[in-house]
Amino acid sequence: MKDRFESTKKYIASRELLDGVNVAIALQKPLLIKGEPGTGKTMLAKAVAQSLGKRLIVWNIKSTTKAQDGLYLYDTIQRLYDGQFGEEGVDDIARYIRLGKLGEAFDSEEQVVLLIDEIDKADLEFPNDLLWELDQMEFYIHETKRTVKAKHRPIVIITSNAEKELPDAFLRRCIFHYIDFPDEGLMEEIVRAHFPNVEEKLLKEAMAAFYEIRSYRDVRKKPSTSELIDWIRALQIGGIAPETIRGNLPFLGVILKKDEDLETVRHKV
Amino acid sequence: MFAKFFDACRAKGLPVALSEWLTLQEALDQGLAKNSLTRFYYLARMILVKSETQFDKFDQAFEECFKGAAFEDEISAQMLEWLDKSEMEELAREDARRYLNEGEELQIDRREVEEKFRQRMRDQDSEHNGGSFWIGTMGKTSFGNLGGNVGGVRVGGKTGYQSAFAVVGARKYRDFRDDRVLDNRQFQMAFRRLRQFSAKLDVPKTDLDIGGTVHKTCENGGFLQIVMEKPRKNAVKLLLLFDSGGTMIPYSALMNDLFQAVHKSNHFKDVKCYYFHNCIYSKLYKTPECENGDWVDTEWVFRNLDSDYKVIVVGDAAMAPEELYSDTGNYRGPNGGLSGWEWLNLLKRHYKKIVWLNPKMAPKRMPWREAETAIGDLLPMFKLTVEGLNQAMEVLMRR
Repeated sequence: MKDRFESTKKYIASRELLDGVNVAIALQKPLLIKGEPGTGKTMLAKAVAQSLGKRLIVWNIKSTTKAQDGLYLYDTIQRLYDGQFGEEGVDDIARYIRLGKLGEAFDSEEQVVLLIDEIDKADLEFPNDLLWELDQMEFYIHETKRTVKAKHRPIVIITSNAEKELPDAFLRRCIFHYIDFPDEGLMEEIVRAHFPNVEEKLLKEAMAAFYEIRSYRDVRKKPSTSELIDWIRALQIGGIAPETIRGNLPFLGVILKKDEDLETVRHKV
Repeated sequence: MFAKFFDACRAKGLPVALSEWLTLQEALDQGLAKNSLTRFYYLARMILVKSETQFDKFDQAFEECFKGAAFEDEISAQMLEWLDKSEMEELAREDARRYLNEGEELQIDRREVEEKFRQRMRDQDSEHNGGSFWIGTMGKTSFGNLGGNVGGVRVGGKTGYQSAFAVVGARKYRDFRDDRVLDNRQFQMAFRRLRQFSAKLDVPKTDLDIGGTVHKTCENGGFLQIVMEKPRKNAVKLLLLFDSGGTMIPYSALMNDLFQAVHKSNHFKDVKCYYFHNCIYSKLYKTPECENGDWVDTEWVFRNLDSDYKVIVVGDAAMAPEELYSDTGNYRGPNGGLSGWEWLNLLKRHYKKIVWLNPKMAPKRMPWREAETAIGDLLPMFKLTVEGLNQAMEVLMRR
C-alpha cells in the first residue's frame, strides 16, 4: 500500500492531475473533477483506489437523489410490517437504519475512496445540503440519537459535467482540477496502456483520423478518449487494413453518436 | 509577494475567498509546492480557482506577479546578463527551427533537466553562445535562452518554443473565459418558482399515501395495508418567445444565459422555444437567425400548445408605433393581414398566463417609447433582472 497516488497500468494521468489528487489527500479536502465527457473522470476514482490499495465506494447521483439518501434511510415500512407480525427486535430502531453511501464511507473501519459521481445531475441545492457532512465528516441520526463520525476521513472525489453551476460555498471547500483533453503524446500513452500490442500503423492512422475529426468545427459532439479506445478495439477486431482507415473511416458510428455529425464527416472525406 | 498575488487575483476578477487563501497557506506550510514555481502554479490554481472559465484570469494574475521569477533566486545576475541577447532573437528563431529535435537527446524528464542545470550552473564560469553544452543563448542544450531544445529549462527572456516553462505565457485557457454579468444560477433559482404539482402523470407509484394507508388499514380490521401513490411532478409547461431583432444584439449574452438557465432547469414538463423579429406576426422562427422558411405558423402554435402553457416573451419592445399598428406588417416575414398589435392581442386571448421580459425597460413611462408603453399596458412587463424575473414568475404562478 502506498500513500501517494501514481498512474496505474490502465490509467495514465497527467503530472498535474497526480499532483491534484495528492494535494487533495494531504489537505483532506474533496477533489472536484471537471472535464469533457469521456476524459476519464469516473475512471480516476477507480485508479486512485487501486493505486492506494483502498476500497472504492461509488455514490451515483441522479436527478432525484437527495443529500439524505447518502447519509441514512430509516426503513419505516419494514418496521411497520415487522410490528404487525410480531417480529423480534422491532423496538430496536437501529435495525431499520440503513446507511447510505456517505454513511458507509464514514463508518468504514479503514480509509476508503468515496466517488460522488456526476454531482451536477442532482437538484441545485444538493451540494449545499452536504456542506456540513463533508466538512466535519459526521452526521447525526435523529431516530437513534447516534452520531456517525468518520473513523478515517475518506478520500472524496467528486465529478461534474457542468450541467449545472455549483454553489460558491461548496466550491470554496474543494480542490479543483480540470482534465484537459489529452494531447497526442499523452493520448498515445493512454491507448498503449489499453492495447499493449497495438499495431503501430493502425495506431498512427487511427489517431490521425481521430484528431482530424475532432478538429472539424461543425462536429457537434466531439469524440473523446473513451470513444477512441472503443474505435481502436473495433478496428482491431474488424481486421481493418490500417492504410484504409483514413480514407474509409470504418465503424464511424463508434466515435460519432449524432446523425448530423456522421453526415458532416462523411461529406468531408 | 504573496499578499500581492492575492490582490492581483482579486483585481483580475477572481473571486478568491479568505478561506481558500488560508488553505493555500496550509498547503505551502506542508511543503506541497516543493519549492518549484511550476508546482506552485498548479497548487495555487487548484485551490483558488474553481472553474476552467476562470483559468485565464488566474494565468494573467500569476504572470503579473511572478514574471521572471523562475529560478531568479538561483541564477546569478551575471549569468542573466550573458543571456540577455534580445537583438539575436530573429536570427535565433530561424536557427532554432533547424536545431529543433536535433543535438542533445530530448530532455523530457524535468527533474533530470533541473538536476543537470544546477550542476552546470556550478561549473560554468564564462559566457557561451551557440554552443551545445554550456548555458547560453541560441544553443541546443536543455538550458538557456532563445534555444530550440524542447522540454528544457528556460532562463529568463522570452519563450522561443512553448515547451520550456510556458504554461502561463501560453494563455491556454483564454477560450474558456466566460464573463457574465448575471449569474446563470440566479436565473435557475428564479425558474424554480415555476412549480405546479400534479399527480396525473404516468409514473410508478413510489410515494407512501399516508391517508390512504390509515383508511385501508382500518377497513382491514387493523391489519396494516400500505397504499402507495404517484409522486407529485411539476406540471408547468413553458413557451418561450425570444426577440432576435437587431436592437437585441447587445443583449445576446444575457439572452443566452436565460436560455441556458431554462434548459438546465429540468423540472418543467415541457419547454418550447421560438424566435421572432421585433414583434410577433403570423410566423414564429425556429432559430435565432430568423431565416425565411425555417418557421412555424403562429396559429399552429396556438392550436398545438394549449392555453395552459405559460408564456414568457423576451424582447425590448423597441419599434416605431407605425410598425406595431400597421397592418402591412414588418419587412421580414408575412403577417397574415394583421398588425403586430392584433397578433399580440390574439396571443393574450389564447394563453392564460403571459409575461413580457424587457432587458432595457424604461424605469417609468416615457412618452417617446410609445410601443413599449402600449405593450406594457397589454401584457405585464418586467425588466430582465433577477428581481424582475422573480416578479414575473410570481405573476405566472398566480391563480
